[in-house]
Amino acid sequence: MTGQRILIVDDEPQILRFLRPALEASGYVVTHASAAHEALRAIANTAPDLVLLDLGLPDMDGKSVIEQARQFTRVPIVVLSARDREAEKIAALDLGADDYVEKPFAIGELLARLRAALRHAKSSAAAMTRIEVDGLTIDAERRLVARDGAPIKLTPREYDLLTALAGNPGRVMTHGQILTAVWGPAHKNDTQYLRVFIGQLRNKIERDPGRPVLIRTESGVGYRFAEIG
Amino acid sequence: MANDRNSERRPDPDALLALAGKGRRGRLLVFLGAAPGVGKTYAMLQRAKLLRQEGVDVVVGLVETHSRAETEALTQGLEILPRRVTRWRDRDIEEFDLDAALRRHPKLIIVDELAHTNAPDSRHPKRWQDVEELLDARIDVWTALNIQHLDSLADIVSRIAGVTVRETVPDTVLRDADDIVLVDLTSEELIQRLKDGKVYLPETARLAQQKFFTLRNLTALREIALRRAAARVDDQMVEQLRQSAIEGPWETAERLLVCVGPDALSLSVVRAASRLATGLNASWVAATVDKPSGEAGSASDAAADAALRLAQTLGAETTRLVGHDLPEEILRYAQRENITQIVVGRSRAGFFSRLLGRSLSEALARRASLIGVHIVTGDKPREAPQIGPLARLLDRSLPIGALAAAASVAVMVGLGEALDAWLRLPNLSMIFLIAVVVCAARFGVRSAILAAVLSFLAYDFFFVPPLYQFTIAQPQEFFALTIFLMVASLVGWLAGRGRDQERLAREHAQATRSLFEFSRKLSGAVALADILDTATVHAQRTLEAESVVMLLPEEGELALSAAWPPVDALNAGESSAARWAFDKSEPSGWRTGTLPNVRFQFRPLVTSRGVVGVCGFAPANREAAISPTLEHALNLILEQTAIAADRALLVKDSVRTVALEENEKLRSTLLASLSHDLRTPLATITGAVTTLRKFGEGMSAQQRDDLLASIEEEGDRLTRFIANLLDMSRIEAGALRPQRDLVDVAETVRAAIERAAKAFPTSPIVASLAQGLPYARGDANLIEQVLFNLLDNAQKYGDGGRVTVHARPEGANVLISVTDEGPGIKSADLERIFEKFYRGGRPDGRRAGTGLGLSISRGLIEAMGGRIWAESPAIKRRGTRIVIAMPAVAADELAKAAS
Repeated sequence: MTGQRILIVDDEPQILRFLRPALEASGYVVTHASAAHEALRAIANTAPDLVLLDLGLPDMDGKSVIEQARQFTRVPIVVLSARDREAEKIAALDLGADDYVEKPFAIGELLARLRAALRHAKSSAAAMTRIEVDGLTIDAERRLVARDGAPIKLTPREYDLLTALAGNPGRVMTHGQILTAVWGPAHKNDTQYLRVFIGQLRNKIERDPGRPVLIRTESGVGYRFAEIG
Repeated sequence: MANDRNSERRPDPDALLALAGKGRRGRLLVFLGAAPGVGKTYAMLQRAKLLRQEGVDVVVGLVETHSRAETEALTQGLEILPRRVTRWRDRDIEEFDLDAALRRHPKLIIVDELAHTNAPDSRHPKRWQDVEELLDARIDVWTALNIQHLDSLADIVSRIAGVTVRETVPDTVLRDADDIVLVDLTSEELIQRLKDGKVYLPETARLAQQKFFTLRNLTALREIALRRAAARVDDQMVEQLRQSAIEGPWETAERLLVCVGPDALSLSVVRAASRLATGLNASWVAATVDKPSGEAGSASDAAADAALRLAQTLGAETTRLVGHDLPEEILRYAQRENITQIVVGRSRAGFFSRLLGRSLSEALARRASLIGVHIVTGDKPREAPQIGPLARLLDRSLPIGALAAAASVAVMVGLGEALDAWLRLPNLSMIFLIAVVVCAARFGVRSAILAAVLSFLAYDFFFVPPLYQFTIAQPQEFFALTIFLMVASLVGWLAGRGRDQERLAREHAQATRSLFEFSRKLSGAVALADILDTATVHAQRTLEAESVVMLLPEEGELALSAAWPPVDALNAGESSAARWAFDKSEPSGWRTGTLPNVRFQFRPLVTSRGVVGVCGFAPANREAAISPTLEHALNLILEQTAIAADRALLVKDSVRTVALEENEKLRSTLLASLSHDLRTPLATITGAVTTLRKFGEGMSAQQRDDLLASIEEEGDRLTRFIANLLDMSRIEAGALRPQRDLVDVAETVRAAIERAAKAFPTSPIVASLAQGLPYARGDANLIEQVLFNLLDNAQKYGDGGRVTVHARPEGANVLISVTDEGPGIKSADLERIFEKFYRGGRPDGRRAGTGLGLSISRGLIEAMGGRIWAESPAIKRRGTRIVIAMPAVAADELAKAAS
């Protein structure tokens, strides 16, 4: 299909054994690195379209790979991590990773995340003017939000929060990233604000606020806006 | 004015503090009487009974009823603590049981006869000290006291009544009592009671009865008791005024200074000062003046010490001043401390003072301005026999100094005679100066003065006409001789003083060097044991003690941590004295108020963090006092030791903290790797399965096959890992029950190799089995599993080299070993590899294994009664060999089993 190049960084050969055929079957070109130094060299030299990074590497902490890579590239990085390691996930995202996938994962889920990350990398340059997802429309030029054609009244803060999330469809945003974007860096740790505002926003925009579809909770990490399309 | 409360009239903080201090202790009520028989015990019991009826927890700790019916009847219905029976000189003595009282811990306890002296094996020499401890334990105490037993009144009482009072109680006890109940009886009534036989007096005192219980004596004692009680009420009122910040004329600005010296009169002077201070309601200080070059530890020092101690028990502050000019020092101190009155005894004047016709008291009276000087005179002009200056001179240095003086003068006489015969010298006397100077330089001032006197006599006798007579013919000769004596004395004195000062300086240098050496050694010692050993040896040498011990707390107990000369254990009395010093942070044992019969004196080792331990020293001479020099040295040692010990303890603590932190880090690493080990196979299986579902149709058969194989392999890996975890928990829970069968070692080894060859087809395994291997006793399945684990490890860490399995009999065992050709293991890690979750690094830096294989293997082998260990390097500085030793089965046993 696209021929986009994906660099897999993982020291477990068994993982590569199924990832490679699955990604290749999806039309990606797969390269592989099994250690951090090798990975950084590959990112610098081959400029892949996306990096799939296992955080548990033998020679260096996976997080420092992100940190160092971010000094010279904006390549999307998707992290492979364990479910019980929230702190590690948040740290990786705050250091500049684009998303994470919990191990063990179904291949479909992984492919969806890869697509979202790749798309976001492409679209981030273009200004977002109009978003439509699951019956919700956001008109950025006129600052209007409507569900199924009926306008929704949002406070300025709620609107900012919604656009911050909707600007990264399908991607996880950490609490800290959202708070910094909407409230400013001084409020980076005021997670309780965020809970309240997310609740209000869901009440206004979700069809069933008890079972949110547009803004999903990534427990312990942050929120993820629905994928567009 | 009393109601006027502005901000300037705050309650006196000191008064409030004293009040708060009282709140923390038990309350002391003293039933004060003028004489025995006034009914103190009776009054006490009567009141106690009332309280008991009100439900107060009252216990009679000790009451002497002297079998009097009316008193005994009062004890009915009161709980009485059993007494402690102790043997002393073949007699059973009943004593108050302090420990039982502390255990019982009532609200209020009655302890009669406050002035009582305890049996020698008791914790405290005096009962009032027992009472102090009860009060400290927040128990209220009622006690009885006769006024004659008050320390400051002992002199007066003995003067009035003509009896010596030996059992005394410090005034501070009465002063600090929360309240006093005066039990009074007119003197006539008391005498009547005495005649009726209502007053018990011990047999020994019966003789004194007639002398003591006279109307005159009793009236005098009664007056003192009444005055004391009245003064006490006065004090209480003043105290209350101060607490409630009511201004009044209660402030007494009087401050007394009592000067004590090494004379016997000092004790009386202190008592007089105490009475004066009480009368004036003034604070007072007792001071002694030391000469800077004074010889420490002399008998005179001990006398001054005793006076200072008495002053302390009577409620004075004490201080030691240093200076040559006694009146000058005393007055300077008085000025500085706002002293208004000075109390001084009419002292035995020093040599020079007497020469100038001036004693200390006269000098003080002459020089003091605006300070009252009280002079206390002794009963008799001179108590102790005065030792003549020459006798004292001889007494001190007779053995060597005097002999040397005599000998050197004799030598000079001989020399003089020889010279005289040879050539006539006009001033032969000069050669005697040699003798004087030699004596001064070698033996000090005393010897030199003696030499001067002897020279004077010898010169007169041998060289001054008329010869061989102690008479002098010519007046100018007499003049020359006198000049000679003066010059000789002066030269001798100067030279001797130089020598004495040099000796002193040397001693100081020695002490400083010794201290320096001590601190250097201490700072070099890191381990606590080294520090204590160093300190103990140093203390023993410096204090010239018979024995020195150090005790540190260990799991709540004080443990003997060092001793020099070595001691195995302390006896019960010593232990409890040490415990006391540790708990109360006060000296205990020998020459203290607590357990004075114990061989050691214990001192707490105090640092800023509190008491870290206790140092005990047993003096070589129990009768000697601790001189200020020794005290100084002791304090230095204690200080240095405490600091060093504290440092060592801190290091120990921090090491423990680091170990804990590392443990914590290790645990989290373990958890992470465990989670990784479980998750990777699961991720592979899930990933492969979902890939197959999604893309399976578009894949080649070979790709599909590979994915299926990876699912199978990871499934196996997961199974193995879980089996390992289960084995581990079974071993740890002790639930493993291995078979104790006969095991054909060769067969088991072959089976394990076969399994391994299948699992790791790329690794070559070579078996080398001895012929005729004996059977081993164990569980064939478990041994096979262990061998498989070892082969697994060998191929993982073996760098792809050959893996060899050996088996051979050795002694009563069969040894099986697995050897690889990898880089080997550092000798420090040879034991650690058997720890749970320990993993060796792999050459490619990748994680290998679960870190469980070897620890499981050890668990299994040991459960079967075998042993397993690692050796490295195995061959040519490379490789690791893991050896299993299983018990072999003897041939006859095998035959029996076969039949």
